Amino acid sequence: MATMQVHEWMINYTRQTEWIDRRGLFLWLAFYAGGLGGGLYLVSLYFNSLWGMLFGWLIITGIKGSAHLIFLGKPLRAWRIVFRPHSSWLSRGIIFVLSFALFGAIQMALTRWAPGSTAEIVFKVLAGAAAFAVSIYTGFVLNSVKAVPFWNSMLLPILFILCGVLGGFGLSVVIALNGGDVNLAAAEAGTRWLLVINALLIGIYLWRAANRETTGKKSVLEQIQGNLAPFFWIGIVALGIIVPLGIALVSHLAGEVSASLILTGVTCEIIGGLTLRYCVLKAGAYKPLVARPR
Amino acid sequence: MRWGMVVNLSKCVRCYACIAACRIEHFLPMGVSWPRLVALETGIERPTVSNYSVRCNHCKNAPCVSVCPTGATFQRNDGIIMIDQNKCVGCRYCVIACPYQNRTFVSKDKDRGFFPGRIQTDFEKAGKKRYPHQVGTTEKCNFCVERIDEGTKQGLTPGKDRDATPACVNTCPARALTFGNLDDPDSEISKLIRENEGFQLHPEYDTDPSIYFIDRGIGSNQALRKSEDTRQESIATGGSK
Repeated sequence: MATMQVHEWMINYTRQTEWIDRRGLFLWLAFYAGGLGGGLYLVSLYFNSLWGMLFGWLIITGIKGSAHLIFLGKPLRAWRIVFRPHSSWLSRGIIFVLSFALFGAIQMALTRWAPGSTAEIVFKVLAGAAAFAVSIYTGFVLNSVKAVPFWNSMLLPILFILCGVLGGFGLSVVIALNGGDVNLAAAEAGTRWLLVINALLIGIYLWRAANRETTGKKSVLEQIQGNLAPFFWIGIVALGIIVPLGIALVSHLAGEVSASLILTGVTCEIIGGLTLRYCVLKAGAYKPLVARPR
Repeated sequence: MRWGMVVNLSKCVRCYACIAACRIEHFLPMGVSWPRLVALETGIERPTVSNYSVRCNHCKNAPCVSVCPTGATFQRNDGIIMIDQNKCVGCRYCVIACPYQNRTFVSKDKDRGFFPGRIQTDFEKAGKKRYPHQVGTTEKCNFCVERIDEGTKQGLTPGKDRDATPACVNTCPARALTFGNLDDPDSEISKLIRENEGFQLHPEYDTDPSIYFIDRGIGSNQALRKSEDTRQESIATGGSK
C-alpha cells in the first residue's frame, strides 16, 4: 500500500508541544520554580527561618514571575490574567502568586521587626496558605486538561507539592550548612522521608496513568522506554531519588557526612524535581483525532 | 440559534479549495491554517482514501472558553467561539485544552511573509491592514463570522445565501461542506445529520462539537466510529484489540 503523507496529529498519538518546546521551556521553569519556592517557604515557616522565607519569596517573585512573563506571547497584557478565577486555573494561579508576594513581604517584615506579634501570626497563616496554593496549583492546571489523559489525575497536584516541599527541605539544608537559622538534623530527616514518599508517589502515578486509556499508557511507555527514558531513569530515578536517598541514608547511619556530599545530594534533588516536571509536560499526549484503520 | 457545519466525507475530493478560500478570506499568515485537510487510506485489499476537513468545532461546551484566563476566548449566543485578539495574552492554555488540536499560536516564524526579509507584496500589505493577525496570540476558525454578521444584517440566511456563508463552504466544488442552523430541525444540515447518521469527533469529551461528519460508509470509518474508543486507539497505533 502506498504511503501517504498525513498530519501526524490526526491519526497518531500527538504529544503537546506548546508548553514544553521552544519558549515553552520557560513555562516548565516557572512551574518548577513555583513548586520549589512555595515548598521552601513552607519549610522555612516550620523552621521560622527568615533566610529561607526570603529565598522562597525571591524564587517565586523573581524566577517564576520572570519565566511566566517571558513565556507569554503578549507579556504586557499579563494583568488581564487575574480576571477569570471562577473558571481558569491559570487565573487562580496568578492570584495565588500575587497574594503570596504581598502577604509574604508583609510577613517577613513583621518577622524581622515585630516577631511574635499577632499580626505576624496572621500573616504567617496567610503567606503559608498562599505558598501552599502556589506550590500546588500547577498540578491543577495540568489536571484540568481532559484532552491529555496522562495529566488527568488528582495525584499530580499532590506529586507537585511534595516535590516542591522536598526541594524546599533540600535548600533549607543548604541554608543550615551556611550557618542559617535552620535545624540541619530536622531538615535532613524531612528530606529522607519525602524522598521515600515521592518515589512511591511517582510509581503510583505512573501505574495509574498506564491504566488510564491507551493514550495514558503510551505516555508512560514514552517515559520509561521511549525518547524520554534517559531523562526518566537518569534524571528522576538516579539523580532525583537514588543518589540523594543514598546520601541521606549514609548521613543517617554514619551520623555525619561532608558538606560537599550533602550539597551534591541537594543538587541531585533539584535536578530530579526539574526532570520530573519536564517529563510530565513532555509526555502529555492527545488521542488520535481520527483512527488509522488496519 | 446555533451555527454548525456538516462535512460529507464521501463527497470531499481533497482539492484543498476550502483551505485556499480561508487563507484568502482571512489573509492567513504563511504558517497558519485554520481549516486543515487530512487524507488517510482505509482498507488494505481495496484502499479507499478518506478526507477529513477539520477546523475549530465551535463546541457547545468548549474547554477553550473555560480555561482562558483573560476572557479573550468567548462564546457568542449563536454558538460561535471567538477570540478577542486584543485580550489574548498568548498563554496557550486554550491550545493545550482543545482535544481536537485546532488552535494555533501565531509565533513570529509563522508570520514571516511570502518573501521573508525581502519584500512585502501588495496582497500582504492589504491583508495586514484589513485583517491584522497578532503575533503572540492564538487563532482559529471563526466560521467567517464577518460574513455571517454582515449577511444577517442584510436579511440574508447563512448557509443559503452565499454572502452570509463561510468562504470554505461557498468554495467547495463538491458541495462536501454544508452550513446552517443546528437548532432548526428543518435546516439542511439538521436533515443531513439526521438522515445520514452524522457523527462528531470524540464525543466522549462531552464538548458537543458543532461540526458533524457523515461518511455514508466509505472505507471502514463507519465501523470505526461505532466501535469502542479504546479499540479505535488500539487500531490507530496498529496494536491488538
